[in-house]
Amino acid sequence: MPLGVLITLVVLGIAGIAALTWALGLAKPRRFANADEARLAFAREYPETPVHDVVLCQNASAALLNTAHGPAVVWPMGADSTARLLAEAQVDVAEGNLRIALPDYTAPKITLQLDPAEASLWAQQIKETR
Amino acid sequence: MTDTLTYPDVVQLAVPFFIAAILIELMWIVLKKRGGRYETRDSVTSLLMGAGNVASGIVLGFIAYGFFMVLWQITPFDLGTSWLVVVVCFVLDDLRYYWVHRFGHRIRWVWASHVNHHSSQHYNLTTALRQTWTGTFTFMMVVRAPLILLGFHPAMVLFCGGINLIYQFWIHTEAIGRMPRWFEAIMNTPSHHRVHHGRNPRYLDSNYAGVFIVWDKMFGTFVPELESEKVDYGLVRNLGTFNPIRVAFHEWVGMFRDIVQPGLSLRERWMYAVAPPGWSHDGSRDTSETIKANHLKRHPEDRGSPGFNQNAS
Repeated sequence: MPLGVLITLVVLGIAGIAALTWALGLAKPRRFANADEARLAFAREYPETPVHDVVLCQNASAALLNTAHGPAVVWPMGADSTARLLAEAQVDVAEGNLRIALPDYTAPKITLQLDPAEASLWAQQIKETR
Repeated sequence: MTDTLTYPDVVQLAVPFFIAAILIELMWIVLKKRGGRYETRDSVTSLLMGAGNVASGIVLGFIAYGFFMVLWQITPFDLGTSWLVVVVCFVLDDLRYYWVHRFGHRIRWVWASHVNHHSSQHYNLTTALRQTWTGTFTFMMVVRAPLILLGFHPAMVLFCGGINLIYQFWIHTEAIGRMPRWFEAIMNTPSHHRVHHGRNPRYLDSNYAGVFIVWDKMFGTFVPELESEKVDYGLVRNLGTFNPIRVAFHEWVGMFRDIVQPGLSLRERWMYAVAPPGWSHDGSRDTSETIKANHLKRHPEDRGSPGFNQNAS
């Protein structure tokens, strides 16, 4: 197959599938129904880590957890989720978002869109408990 | 000796089929409201990984092909180009695939390349295209050396590998439940391969087959999909990024950071490269064996059931 045809097919294919899934409403990020669902999402990544407390944010897009290994966060990865412990995290609040930086190549920057007051509170709690 | 044998690049020719099949599966899922899930960023990442795999093949493919042609010059054997030889080559190359794939899950150096194929939390036809960019650097081309030395032409071996890859495309779906019993007994199927993509402790390190599931049954790595335990897709610790560069290189970065950390013996540095994923010098991380063992501590009733009857203490 000529390279030009292959490149055209690949580019149009990727763009077309991206546009179609977006138009079909398949780009919506996950929301957690309640704190228990967020706790389960965390346990899916860290099954051996005991969780003491879970706080779901106001828009249900993320949860801050207090675990036996310090603070942790659960957040959406598209329609799914992942989680990280925050013992080595650097946190700050910018434009109302909570920004978390981790020495982790697989999750170097986590940006959580929270209520501004909630973002400040979470940042403070992470700094105090890590 | 045949030096100029050529076969079509079947993977490139299959690209229109891949796109059409993805669109059909997507519409099926949307219309029927069952048979799998799609998510925009996950799909785009998978497709970009597929495009990168084709690009890396174009750029780096000469390394493996050059190696094979050197072997072809050395070997005194030439089995010719009959269809029977092609069929035998396909079966033996599938056996080669089984072992390369098994190494890909049990040797971190090879896992660093293969891990991205397992990094989606979805299981649909785009997942099939989430392929490595770094396969050349695993040096697993050496596992094909016996085929060339036995007299199978390098172009034929690569042609069979391409057909193998195309076969594996359609099994990356939740839209197909089970195939007829005879087919499930011999061939790799969506059901068998769903298990392979599972992050459930039960399903870890199983069903390495490419085309023929009989290899897993022969070598003791077969685990059936259980109605009682839905497959949970993805990595043991899921990625926090859709960035294709990070998806492609994250395990290489992690491995090299481990290897160069201060205070390790040479053996420990070597083990970070060749031991199973999750191995650590201080035992602070989990391998699939410890994940299975930890699961059995929580669920002793699972002991002896499929996926827990080997290597699980």
